[in-house]
Amino acid sequence: MSSFSNFRPTRRGLMKGGTALAGAAALGGLPGRASAQSKTLRVLLAGDPFYYAIEGLKDQFEQESGIKIELEAISLEALQARLTSSFVSNEPDADVISVDQMWLGQYLESKWILPLDPFIKKDKDTDIEDYVPEILYSMNTWRGQVGTLPVASYAQMVFYRKDLMDAKGIKIPEDGSWTWEEYTDIIKQVNGADFDSKKIVGTVVAGQQPAPIVHMYTQLQASKGARWFKDFPAAPKWDFEPTIDSPENLGALKAFVELYKLAPPESIGYNWFDAGMRFAKGDIGMFYWWTAYSYLCKKDGYMSGKDSVVANVMGIVPLPKQPGKDQVVSLGGHSLGIAGNTQKADESWQFIKWATSAKTQKAMGLFNKFGYQFSDFARKSLYADADLLKIYPYLPGQLVALQAGNGKIVRPPAPVYTTLEGIYGLNLNNTLSGAMSPEDCLKQTSSFFTNILKGNFLIPYNQPSFDDTLDATKALIKSLA
Amino acid sequence: MTLASVPAAPRKRVRRHMPDYVPWLLISPSVILLLALIAFPLLFALKNSFYFWNLQMGPTPLGFVGFDNYKMALQGGFFLGALWNTILLTVVGTAVEFTLGLMIALLLARQLKGMNVARALLIMPTTIAPIVVGFLFRYMYDPGGGLIPWLLTSVGIPIPAQGLLGSSTTALWAVLFADVWQWTPFFAIVLYAGLLSIPDDILEAARLDRTPPLALLWHIKLPLIKKTALIVVMLRFMQLFNTFDLIVVLTKGGPGSSTRTLGYTLYQAGMVDFNIGLSSAMTWMMVIIVNAIIGLFVFFAFRDWD
Amino acid sequence: MDQTEKLPSKVFAYAMVVVLLLVFIGPIIWFVLLAIRPTATAFSMPPVLFFEPTWDAIRYTFVDPGNNRPQLFNSVIVAAGAVLLNLPFSFPAAYALSRYKIRGRKNIMLWYLGLLMAPPVAFLIPYSILASSVGLKGTYFSMILICQTLTIPFSVWLMRSFIDEVPVEIEEAARVDGASTAAIMLRIVLPLVRPGIIVTSMFAFVFSWNNAAFPLVLANRGTTTLPIGTLQYFGTAGVTWGFIAVAAVAAMIPPMLIFLALDRYVVRGLTFGSVKG
Repeated sequence: MSSFSNFRPTRRGLMKGGTALAGAAALGGLPGRASAQSKTLRVLLAGDPFYYAIEGLKDQFEQESGIKIELEAISLEALQARLTSSFVSNEPDADVISVDQMWLGQYLESKWILPLDPFIKKDKDTDIEDYVPEILYSMNTWRGQVGTLPVASYAQMVFYRKDLMDAKGIKIPEDGSWTWEEYTDIIKQVNGADFDSKKIVGTVVAGQQPAPIVHMYTQLQASKGARWFKDFPAAPKWDFEPTIDSPENLGALKAFVELYKLAPPESIGYNWFDAGMRFAKGDIGMFYWWTAYSYLCKKDGYMSGKDSVVANVMGIVPLPKQPGKDQVVSLGGHSLGIAGNTQKADESWQFIKWATSAKTQKAMGLFNKFGYQFSDFARKSLYADADLLKIYPYLPGQLVALQAGNGKIVRPPAPVYTTLEGIYGLNLNNTLSGAMSPEDCLKQTSSFFTNILKGNFLIPYNQPSFDDTLDATKALIKSLA
Repeated sequence: MTLASVPAAPRKRVRRHMPDYVPWLLISPSVILLLALIAFPLLFALKNSFYFWNLQMGPTPLGFVGFDNYKMALQGGFFLGALWNTILLTVVGTAVEFTLGLMIALLLARQLKGMNVARALLIMPTTIAPIVVGFLFRYMYDPGGGLIPWLLTSVGIPIPAQGLLGSSTTALWAVLFADVWQWTPFFAIVLYAGLLSIPDDILEAARLDRTPPLALLWHIKLPLIKKTALIVVMLRFMQLFNTFDLIVVLTKGGPGSSTRTLGYTLYQAGMVDFNIGLSSAMTWMMVIIVNAIIGLFVFFAFRDWD
Repeated sequence: MDQTEKLPSKVFAYAMVVVLLLVFIGPIIWFVLLAIRPTATAFSMPPVLFFEPTWDAIRYTFVDPGNNRPQLFNSVIVAAGAVLLNLPFSFPAAYALSRYKIRGRKNIMLWYLGLLMAPPVAFLIPYSILASSVGLKGTYFSMILICQTLTIPFSVWLMRSFIDEVPVEIEEAARVDGASTAAIMLRIVLPLVRPGIIVTSMFAFVFSWNNAAFPLVLANRGTTTLPIGTLQYFGTAGVTWGFIAVAAVAAMIPPMLIFLALDRYVVRGLTFGSVKG
């Protein structure tokens, strides 16, 4: 363990003031230091819709707090590269950062971010009880600590062309009382139809590896009852034995391959927005995807501000179920955390509190520079807000989807998730292309998983487990409120 | 225009009465700086290739694991597959770029009016940052409205339903095409200059002998520009071998693993998975391969060199 | 040769040149157009050639909020800094390698060349750690320093070819007058190879300018460069192609202008001085 630090050319980097101060804050020294020398805060975010809203509103924060904000947006990959290299080298790169839910545990355990619990406890007006608990459970908590707060949260829902279904006399249930089989049958019915001077393709998938295809497929997998590991994370004793190669998962994968056959062939290379924007073009009957596409598909291009052909004919309903299985919805999004090596923990907290507050989130929803494009609220109160409902009428359904969410089951934040996702994504992509049979895909993925998990000392799991349940998160929220 | 890498003349003029250490004194600052900059990453990688250090598991190395990282790199199956893709990309890419470049150079060498302007413009693709070329081609390959699929279909060339970057039969070639687009002008301009440097009397003699054009090219022109050609071929070969930025922007190694190169595999292990131990092992495997190739080049191609 | 060409062959040659320009310059123009296109026409089938230009993307990227404006400035600083740091290291080395017959000269030259063939992706994490361990993380200087692994080897090669052209007799005369090596190098040779210095510097500028790998891990918000600036518009929820195109075109222009200005020396630069062009 210690060998590397001997090798490090100098240990000066480790001993720098910033680290020491941040360390003190992390060790329970509550915020309350005299404010840092310069009142400038560096905020590093992924360049998604919420970023543009925050960018447009940051003047308000600067005026209210007297803190100047230096916003920076980069792509998700560059973000991860920047953050990790900055933490490994222990050099503060930003004060407030976006933390991927899959990396939350690692960030917290490595002290790359500060736990937010003391801050939340101190500032009662954080109003932590307003959050949908399923979101905090899925995205923001790890081993009984709150590491981040959500600035944009997505569930997955079904999007379809209402006018097409009406013309075909197909009724889509609004309450989620349908099955994946019925879903696929409807897609088959509309596939190939001539409608609105377009040749309709039944559905669309996001087939690009690794993340997009895993994001889409795992929703189907979880809905159909398949799980990644034997016992994780809601278990008194964690067991990372892969359960990927199960009959449930084989059924799910075969269903996914069938969906791809009803989708444009080029969607094997589609990433998140390729799939979403394909639907916005109007030649797709129905698909399921992240709820951010509720507003994104209304536009004919990202940030274009102009309506797409489906803007007024989009139906948005809850996902189908698998008979006999509990519905599990994938949750994702973007969350903000305080960099462990910042010297401005207090100011960082002020910014996070501001950006995730009901007031700011509502203003983000009403921000209209590029057309309305933010309805990814994590707070229950906003789902009943009359102003927001006028612009985003689908919000009540979205709340139902969020409340059925369990991100930790759909994509479990196991320590080597990124590596597993890389392999799963590759094999899923190979399955869609026909280079691999569904059976081989699951068999191979499972054995790769086992190798990697063993190689990383996760099988057998000898470190302390944490029974990570929704109820535990609810209790945590209560204790902080 | 003269082709003269290191003219023989200055060598004779070199002073010998100066103390020996002066040239070393002049060279050493650059060598020391470069050695320091290159040695740190290599030693860093060498050491950590024997440690279990995965940032997904912990911020610091978790222990010595011997050759496990090397084994993992080889057993994962990605390394050898990626090596094959890389060799394919590199060999075909260099060959195509060289051949097309030579053809364009022969065209330019006719020195028609206005050719100079064409030549000056032609080099433009080479001046662009590779990451920008990636975006440029991602835009043009877009299956839902890109220029290239549209052009191909309008002249009746069928393209795969999955799109050029989406089909495992075409993706590697589509990536290659972007590289060929960027670097063919480089070969064209360099070889053009080489061709122009061939002394007129040699060409005149060949003309009097009625040497056929292909023979002229193969037996007279090419041998005369061999030295230039070798340097640019070697440079380009190694750049192609190290390709990763184009792949990151265009395909992420997909579909399947059809465009996964060594550079991208290394990128994924290091900058996506943050498995420093594994990526360090891959670094050294790659460094050894790169050095072996350079060694072969130097041994065979640069043996009789100044 | 011109006069002996037959007309049909000439026509064919010109036709080929037109095709070549279409293939190699057309895509660049197509991308430049993307920067001023209304979003709706970016992916139209068939492609839309004529449209009402919109300046929205340029306004967003360079005016309000203008995220890319400081990046343009940063790119200039890094590239110019790399050029300045490069000269004091590469000029003496180039001089020595041109003027002295030292043992292993060929190997030293090849070693320089070999450095340019190292896989850059392998060095990103180590460089990031190196930079921060000496307190340089996020600074312009860290990028300028690491760029030297590209610029010094290149400059030694190119500059040596320029120094080779300076007749050594000029130096001999000065030496008889008692001038030191340093004086000869700086007062006599340096002014004589000024064009070489300019050409070398401009190429080194382009190399540093186009490098996107090192700033990815070494820069921070305040110092990040323009090629990296294109990445920020590649989100998970969408790609703002117009913004990417503006930033990318801005990153393309300086190298292109430099190449056009250096037209005479392009070949020499691209072959590291081994072809005089």
